[in-house]
Amino acid sequence: MSTETEELSELDLSKFFDRPWVCIVWDDPVNLQSYVTYVFIKLFGFSKEKAHELMMKVHTEGKAVVAAGSREAMENDVQRLHEHGLWATLQRDDHGGV
Amino acid sequence: MGEFKGTPATGDLTVALSNDELHILINLVEQLLELLGERNFAHHYQSDDPFAQLMAAQLMNMEPLSAPEDPVLNRLLPNAYADPDAADEFRKFTEPRLRQIKQQHLMYLREQLVFPVDHELPKADIFISDAQQWLLALNDLRLALAVRLEVEPDTFEEYELMPDSEPKKSLLAVYFWLGGIQEKLLDHL
Repeated sequence: MSTETEELSELDLSKFFDRPWVCIVWDDPVNLQSYVTYVFIKLFGFSKEKAHELMMKVHTEGKAVVAAGSREAMENDVQRLHEHGLWATLQRDDHGGV
Repeated sequence: MGEFKGTPATGDLTVALSNDELHILINLVEQLLELLGERNFAHHYQSDDPFAQLMAAQLMNMEPLSAPEDPVLNRLLPNAYADPDAADEFRKFTEPRLRQIKQQHLMYLREQLVFPVDHELPKADIFISDAQQWLLALNDLRLALAVRLEVEPDTFEEYELMPDSEPKKSLLAVYFWLGGIQEKLLDHL
């Protein structure tokens, strides 16, 4: 029994339930491009290039996933984005089909 | 006007605003504060009666909070979930805090703006002690104005072709002016 338990405990389940939720930012005609980029750097610590790229994705495609992780973490990210006036929602990750 | 000097890092960030600009900004800030204040449900239940207090606590705890009807409030305090039930459930725990944060930023901005007005200075070089609160308050003002003015991606082109007699034009001018201020502030951060 103890051997089985040890084997089970060695099973790597970290990817099994990995990243089930995503935080999405939606495009709006008001927030300045420079402001959105600034907020992405401030809240998520992205490089300027990465933040600009994500901002452009929001702008051209209408939305972009900006974070992924636990539901709790995504709820926290959505709240911080709302504090900054960005239009954000969270939902279960449907494997990039957002 | 609306020119910034210095940076937050060096502790010398200032903005120059004329008296007219100060009055416009204060007016907008106060209107938005009033609107956000309408969303404070707690005061509806304030009472010395312990039973009423208990009922209020029950109501606040049990009921999901639906999205605001006013489109400005709905934009500033948006749903976190596409599913309305999940959104209302989340909102009851989070909206009061979000609203308070926005009110704090606006009250801070108001405090900064009224000082030169109260002291009857013809124009002001306002020392910005907290650039982040300025930035977020300015953004919320722009969002609120944009909702009321129904700003769309092509609004600037429309604005440029608008005759001066169009009542909306002066308000749109304020909206675009605020965008310019925010852009200049971002350059100094």
